[in-house]
Amino acid sequence: MLEYEGVQYKGFRNIYNEEGEATGFQVGIRMIGYRGAWLSEFRFGYIEVDGEKFLADRCTFVVSGVEYTYEETFNLGRVKWPLNEAMIVRVQKPGGLAQGSHTVSALYGQVASYVPFGSGELDINQKPGGHGHSESFGYTREMIIV
Amino acid sequence: MSEERKVPKRGISTYCFYPQLGVNMDLEDIFMHMQDMGATGLEILADGIIPGYPYPSEEWLNKWFGLIKKYDIVPVEYGHWVESRLYPGQREASLEESLEQLIRDIKLAHYLGFTCMRTKLGVISETLDPVSNWREIIHEALPYAEAFNVVMQPEIHAPTKLTDRMVNDYVEFIEKENTKYFGFNIDFGVFQNKPVPEMARFFREDRVSKPEDIIPLLPYVHCCHAKYYNMSADFEETTIPYREVIQIMIEHGWDGYLLSEYEGPHKEDINHCIEQVRRHHVFMKKILGQ
Amino acid sequence: MMEIEALQYKGFRNLKDENGDICGFQVGIRFVAYRGPWLSQFRFAYVKVDDVEYGPDVCTFFVNGVEYTYAEMLKPENWRVKVQMQAPIYIHVKKEGGLAMGCHRVSVKFSEIASYIPERMDDINSEMFEMMHGNDPAYNRDMIIV
Repeated sequence: MLEYEGVQYKGFRNIYNEEGEATGFQVGIRMIGYRGAWLSEFRFGYIEVDGEKFLADRCTFVVSGVEYTYEETFNLGRVKWPLNEAMIVRVQKPGGLAQGSHTVSALYGQVASYVPFGSGELDINQKPGGHGHSESFGYTREMIIV
Repeated sequence: MSEERKVPKRGISTYCFYPQLGVNMDLEDIFMHMQDMGATGLEILADGIIPGYPYPSEEWLNKWFGLIKKYDIVPVEYGHWVESRLYPGQREASLEESLEQLIRDIKLAHYLGFTCMRTKLGVISETLDPVSNWREIIHEALPYAEAFNVVMQPEIHAPTKLTDRMVNDYVEFIEKENTKYFGFNIDFGVFQNKPVPEMARFFREDRVSKPEDIIPLLPYVHCCHAKYYNMSADFEETTIPYREVIQIMIEHGWDGYLLSEYEGPHKEDINHCIEQVRRHHVFMKKILGQ
Repeated sequence: MMEIEALQYKGFRNLKDENGDICGFQVGIRFVAYRGPWLSQFRFAYVKVDDVEYGPDVCTFFVNGVEYTYAEMLKPENWRVKVQMQAPIYIHVKKEGGLAMGCHRVSVKFSEIASYIPERMDDINSEMFEMMHGNDPAYNRDMIIV
């Protein structure tokens, strides 16, 4: 089941390489909306942890089990990020996140052809939010790394 | 035997509960509320409702047909989108790209039992004018719509007015093609004449349609979004002149489905959404004399 | 899916007999708990709507689709039937003409016998229920009949 919030608590953890070293962390996001996004229409701003922003060049995106770079998603007009599924964003950060509580935010959304051109495009200076506009609830959460 | 009086029928759109789906509610829960309310007509937003869209599993399809039967649901309208800016930098999709999406949904809508579609085309202006090749797209799709017996309907939604040129262009197209397979979903928000306090900044006083503006369009309207923003405790929608609009529909013998669509505040509160939709159906029953 | 409240909004409706006449109403209840009772441990006092109480004599209970009178539920052999956590009990209340269209204040007084707590807590009419659920919004809900 999904959590109501855009940023999902389930799945928030450090990730490790084969040697057992933490290479980063992962966090799930969902669309609080009425349709999923074709990957070519998905837009990503950042994952922010305790004031540090991680942009698309340090992230990969796992949809239905398949991992994509942001560049790869632009060509995928026939692959859907399903509405009922959290996308896992995997973030490179050597050493991962420290044990304890973190303030985690995300900015992401989708562009849509039924609204005027340009709506839904993101600016990395925007506040956290979904659908490409800043929203207050559910896009910033206090979450604990164990 | 006296002829049965034709009146609009009641239904709901899954939009009423969208942020709760997959969190606190599933499709069957919506069906049970519909059965409680005697609101049999259903609109789904296909993309978010069909797991694996646009390729549902056999397992889900079996479940769908089982639930439709169990709860006496009438699949009325299948909400879908034809994306025209699918790739970064793209401004208008080709005819082929558009048709691929549209025909795919026509077939799926039909298979699921729907007879109407809310066909959202891409737009090219701030006033929501559709893509420049919309006539070509729809013309090419009409034989499919006819073969699969589903009506494509753009939604006429504020800030568009019913008297706008765009609407008239659609009417001219329908008459020229002489088709029953293209029409309108009129969103009742076009009649909104008072702002919702929490959402006042979205209200456009200069873009209000008059109830009677719907009259010439009624022959082409197969179902409507019965938009509501604020249902009061005494069962009145406080921002849209429902009584006038529905009275006109009754006078003209329009008996399509009114599909509740909640667009007011506090959609994050599931009990607020449930209460609002129940109030809305009490309200409509009263107007319809039921 | 279950609603978190003990009284379920879904399923709150009038009931019709074979001739299409309204003969009563239905309301669903669930145990807000970590287990459901065996049927013989179910205890029920009344469904109250707008201050009118409907006791066991005018109610039947649907558990997993099977209809029971209150007396039947309490039969010793029914200890083998479980109230499942995943499904509500639907109470059918006889009331000619049903409930009027509009908003109603609905309360249901029900509980379970649990052998692992002292016997004095078995009595549904003890102060225990009142103390725990008398003003609990989960057991007293405003609901609309359409």
